[in-house]
Parts: sequence; structure tokens; C-alpha cells
Amino acid sequence: MLSNFDFSVILKSLPYLFGQGMVFTLSLTAMAAAGGVVIGTLLAMARLSGIPGVWHLAKGYVELCRSLPLVLVIFWFYFLVPYIGAYVTGSSTPIQVGAFPSALITFTAFEAAYFAEIMRAGIQSIPKGQTAAASALGMNYWQTMSNVVLPQAFRNMLPLLLTQTIVLFQDTSLVYVLSLTDFMGAASKVAQRDGRLVEMYIFAAIVYFAICFSASFLVRRLQRRVAIIR
Amino acid sequence: MTSSPMPAPTAGQPAVDADHAPKDAGLQPGSLVSGLPKAAPGETMIAIDAISKWYGEFQVLTNCTTKVAKGEVVVVCGPSGSGKSTLIKCVNALEPFQKGQITVAGTKVLDKSTNLPKLRSRVGMVFQHFELFPHLTITENLTIAQRKVLKRDGEDAKKRGLDLLARVGLGAHAHKYPGQLSGGQQQRVAIARALAMNPVVMLFDEPTSALDPEMVGEVLDVMVELAKEGMTMMVVTHEMGFARKVADRVIFMDRGEIVEDATKDEFFGSPRSERAQTFLSKILQH
Amino acid sequence: MNYNWNWSIFFDQSPEGTGTYADMLLSGLQWTIVTALCAWVIAFFLGSLVGVLRTLPSKTANAIGTTYVEIFRNVPLLVQMFLWYFVLPEVLPRQLGDAVKQMPDAPFYTAVVCLGFFTASRVAEQVRAGIQALPRGQRMAGTAMGFTTYQTYRYVLLPNAYRIILPPLTSEFLNNLKNTSVALTIGLLELTGRARSMQEFSFQVFEAFTAATILYVLINLVVVVAATFLERAVAIPGQR
Repeated sequence: MLSNFDFSVILKSLPYLFGQGMVFTLSLTAMAAAGGVVIGTLLAMARLSGIPGVWHLAKGYVELCRSLPLVLVIFWFYFLVPYIGAYVTGSSTPIQVGAFPSALITFTAFEAAYFAEIMRAGIQSIPKGQTAAASALGMNYWQTMSNVVLPQAFRNMLPLLLTQTIVLFQDTSLVYVLSLTDFMGAASKVAQRDGRLVEMYIFAAIVYFAICFSASFLVRRLQRRVAIIR
Repeated sequence: MTSSPMPAPTAGQPAVDADHAPKDAGLQPGSLVSGLPKAAPGETMIAIDAISKWYGEFQVLTNCTTKVAKGEVVVVCGPSGSGKSTLIKCVNALEPFQKGQITVAGTKVLDKSTNLPKLRSRVGMVFQHFELFPHLTITENLTIAQRKVLKRDGEDAKKRGLDLLARVGLGAHAHKYPGQLSGGQQQRVAIARALAMNPVVMLFDEPTSALDPEMVGEVLDVMVELAKEGMTMMVVTHEMGFARKVADRVIFMDRGEIVEDATKDEFFGSPRSERAQTFLSKILQH
Repeated sequence: MNYNWNWSIFFDQSPEGTGTYADMLLSGLQWTIVTALCAWVIAFFLGSLVGVLRTLPSKTANAIGTTYVEIFRNVPLLVQMFLWYFVLPEVLPRQLGDAVKQMPDAPFYTAVVCLGFFTASRVAEQVRAGIQALPRGQRMAGTAMGFTTYQTYRYVLLPNAYRIILPPLTSEFLNNLKNTSVALTIGLLELTGRARSMQEFSFQVFEAFTAATILYVLINLVVVVAATFLERAVAIPGQR
């Protein structure tokens, strides 16, 4: 039972868990979300562009990512990135990439597919009249997109984008399969080193819950405000 | 005052849906009501006794009292937001109320010991938006509550359902789904569905407000026939032509109160309250 | 680039001695499918129950439903997997805990229960949304005809709600299927885990992952096609 629950293990490892683990998790989440939204928006625009080849490619990429488990994609990129690096730099041997950049590339590329679907819905939610009005004012495609369509789409989809970011935050725990030291990785390293699995995993669950619950609570409040303004 | 606002009967009207029209016979002769105990004159069917209802702080019904005798047809009217729909939904406890009591055929609605599903199965209700069950065929719509609530045998339920369906002129549509019928047809099925339960009372909550004008008549025809056959009815409606034709009494509501409760002749002849006068002049103008 | 492709690797014997690498991947596929299906049974029934709780007029029922969804949605699946696998046997009474630990195929049962409970929270949200999307009058009509609350849900609300949410349920099913891969962390020999083993044994990284990718894409296609047929089969004439 929980009679021999040892809090001191948690206390002692707090600096490691948060100073190293959580910093890794949060930086990865923030950077992958930012990159994912940008690439996702470009993918959405490509998919809606109607240009043969371009939209097929965007659609294929998005659908492929969405039909694969993240764990498999993590393995894919982990082995693929060194080869891509070699190709880009013209090196004859695979380039060793650090754990963090490798994870960042993986999550950015993978989550971009999910952000793309959200942005596609966002762009399609903007009435045709808006693009017509922009064209009537003499704006070209990029001007229309960046000044009229995307700001509105982004605003409408903000709650969904943030919810997806919370999912991304949870997903980053899967870098465990590469033995990286994110928050979960740090917790499990301590757990195994000290033989304190119960304490560490329960603590990790509570921390994740507290963060995700508060974040989704804030998103719901934001959603209500956006809904009222519209 | 206008001439009769009653729309013409269905026959000869332009078809809404060319596919269905030829098979739509309109109201058929024969009785809609069966198994109704002989009315002892003056016996009270619905007694609404000083009920009040609040949504949180907001009071929607204030001290409403009225009675509906067996075989009586009572029309409830009033401006929108006056609480008339809420009042009628209190009768079968679809809406809870906090004060007062309603007694339907001797059963108290606001009583812990009352079996509400049983009470409701004896009170037929017709809704503004028909509320047929979209995933069930017309036959299934007519039989499901007979089987599941009244525990009737499947064949008996089907026979009773199809019989009523034929009476409202839609016998040819038994196998269809609600989405394949016009609004007026759906509402006639909804009336048949309620009647299939052998109700002692029928409640109508704005049964024609969601219909296109050309379909109002076919539904009112069925309701008029029901009234003639002695069904006890409480009807929330703006159709003053219907009220004039078959109502025994008219209740006028405003801001959650029963402002006027009079016989049809009194109400249309000389409404006592100013609010009722204003309402009538507005509704009868066109 | 100097990667040595070797597509015939699939026909080589795997060092596990249970057949070729192809056999190994296919057995992984089998575990993936069986785990996903078993977990879905839990997810569907438990999720429906929790979703219904959230639409009942009772405050207690609502609170229970909401608490369930919040707990299972706000903890990463990997963490939940570890809680079921490593923590639960420790916090159970000793005898029961030991029995759980010695269970044959423990990773499989753990994965099924964990994924079932996790996916249930997502199914619950869809079921709730589906019920709330129905016109309010439908519930009233059921009630007015004398249906009990159970009958109203059974005969009126749920048959309609499930039809509405069939597309999102399909994607939840696919998510559930993909999520089985997380169970490789507790030793389930599912498809991604088997591809990873093949890579470790043979060093043919990209062949292994390409094969796994193709298999995942294929199951996705099968599920999507099946869902389309199902949608057509349960579509109501005259609607939409």
C-alpha cells in the first residue's frame, strides 16, 4: 500500500525534474508549437491553393502524418535527420544531430500536420465575401491572406490551436522512447535509479494534470470570450 | 374583424412535394378517439391550482389557476414570452414548477409518489417542431411508445398505429422516415402518435407555428375533428379561427399570468382586460 | 548518402527464431489490431456511459462524468500507461498486486485497460456533444410519451447521437489504434515495437520503418472505407 510513500525522493529531485526536465519539455512544446503553426498554415494554404502537385503534396503529407503513430514518427526522424543533414551539407557520412534539435524537428514536422487541419478549417470558415472584398480593393493573394484571411482565421481558431498545443505538451513525453531527459524522462530516470517508481510516476501524473487542467481551463475561458465578441 | 381565418381544407391545395401529394388523402372519416370513457359532464380533467415557476431569479409563471373539464377544448393564447408554452408543459411535468399543484385525471403532478412516465403516457402532447424520432420509420414512431411504455403486443400496436395513420390520411407513408414527409404531414403523424397511446387529454404546444402557411389547414382539420369527438384538449395557438370554431374557453396570458379566462363568446365579444384587447386587435388585424 | 538498401531483408530469419522479419512485423500488426479492438470495446461502452452522465439533469452525475473526463484527458497517455503497469500493482493489496504482476501477457492486458479508459474520455466527449446537438424537443417528446430516462436515451437520444458522431468516432478509433504504439514502452510487441526490434537486429532502419508505415496506412484505409460503408448503412432516408 502507500504506507511507505517516500516524499523525500520527490523533494530531492525537484531541481533535476524541473530545472532540466520541465525546461526541456516546455521549450520543446513552445518551439514546436510556433514552428508547427507556421508550417501548418503554409500546408493549409498549399492544400487550399488548388495548384496541381502542390495541393496533392500537402494533402499527402498531412494525411500520412495523421495516419502514423507519433512513436513511429519519432523513430523515423531520429534515424532520418542525420541523413537529411548529410544530404543538405553534402557530407558523405550521416551528420550527428543533438537530441533536442532532433526532437524539435520531429515534433514541428509532425504537429504541423495537425495544425494544418485546424488552419484549413479556419481559412474555410472565412466568408468568400471577405476575399472578394480584398480583391476588389486591389490586393493580391499574399496581401489578401496576410491582411484579411489569416488574421481572422487565426483568431477564430485560437482556442483549437491552443488545445492542440496542450496535446503537443502531453505528446512530448514520448521522447521517453529516445531516452531524452524531458520531464517524464527525468522522472523515470530518478524512479529507476532510486527504485521509487510509485512516487515518481504519481508525482509526474499530478504535475502534468495540474498544468494541462489549468491550461485547458484558461482556453475554455478564452473560447467563451472569443465566442461573445464574434 | 376579418372573415373566417380558417384555411381551406387540404383537398385541392397545391402540392408541396409532388412525390407525396397523390398519396396524401387528408383527414379521413371515422373516429380518431377510442376507448375514451363516457364524459360525466363537468368532471374536471386538468386542475391547475395556483402554480408559480422560476428560472433562477426570474419568475416565468405567477399564481396561475384554471380548470379544464372533461371534453372541453381550451385555447391558450398570448404574446410570445407570456409563459403559455411553459404552462402547458407543466401539465405533464416536462417543466418543473416550484409552487402550487396540477392534478390530471385525479393524479397530482407535483408529488413524489406519482409515477410520472405513467401519467405522461395518458397525456398526449404535440410539439411545435413535431419531434418525430428521425431514425425511426413512421410505423415505428407510431408504435414504439405503445410497445415500450404501454407494453402492448407488437401486432396490436402496429394495427392501432396504422389505423390512426390511415385516419389522418397518410396510410401510404407508413414505411417512410419523418425526413421524407412535409411539415404538415409530420405534424399529422405526431398527432396520430400521441393518439395511439389512448390519451385522456391532449396538449398542443403551438402545433402550427412551424408550418408553412399552406400546411396549417391539414393539421387544424385533424384537431377540429378531435375536438368534435369529445377529446379534452388544451391548445396553445395563435390560430384564432380555430379558437372561434371549436374552443369552449379561451385563456389569455401575459407576463406569466393568466390575465383572462373566459368563454369563447365572452373573449371574442368583449374581452375585459386592456391587454387582451390590444393582443386581439393586433392578431386579428390581418 | 551511403545507406545500403536491402529490401530482401524481410525474408531473412529474425534472430528470435520465430520466422522471418516479415513474420515478425505481421505478428506486431496482429497485436496492434487485437489490442486496439479490445480497448475500443471498453472505450465505447465506458465512454458512452460517461458521456451520458454528463448530459443527465443530476448534478452528481455531471460531476462524476466531468471528473472522469478531466482526469483521463489531462495526463499524458505514456504516464497513464506507467501508472497502470508499474504503480497499480504496488498500491493494490499485496496478494492481488503480485497476482497482477505475474499475469501472463501483462503488457497486453495493461495496454487494453489503459487505452480503454483513456479513449473512453474522448468517446465520452463525442457522445456528450452528439446528445447536446440534438434538438431539445426530442428529449421532451420522449419524456412526454411516458418513456423513462433510460428509455429516452435508449430509443431516442443515443440512436440519433451515434449517427451524428460517427465521423469523429471513426477518428477516435484511429487514434486509439495509433496509440497502441505507446504500449511498446511497457513491452507490448506491437507493430512499431517490432519495427524497432527489426531495426536493432538488422540495422536496416528504413526498410523496417517503411514497412511499418505502409501497414499503418493500410489499416487506416481499411478503417476509413469500413466507416464509410457503416455511415451509408445507418444513414436515415430523407435526412440532410
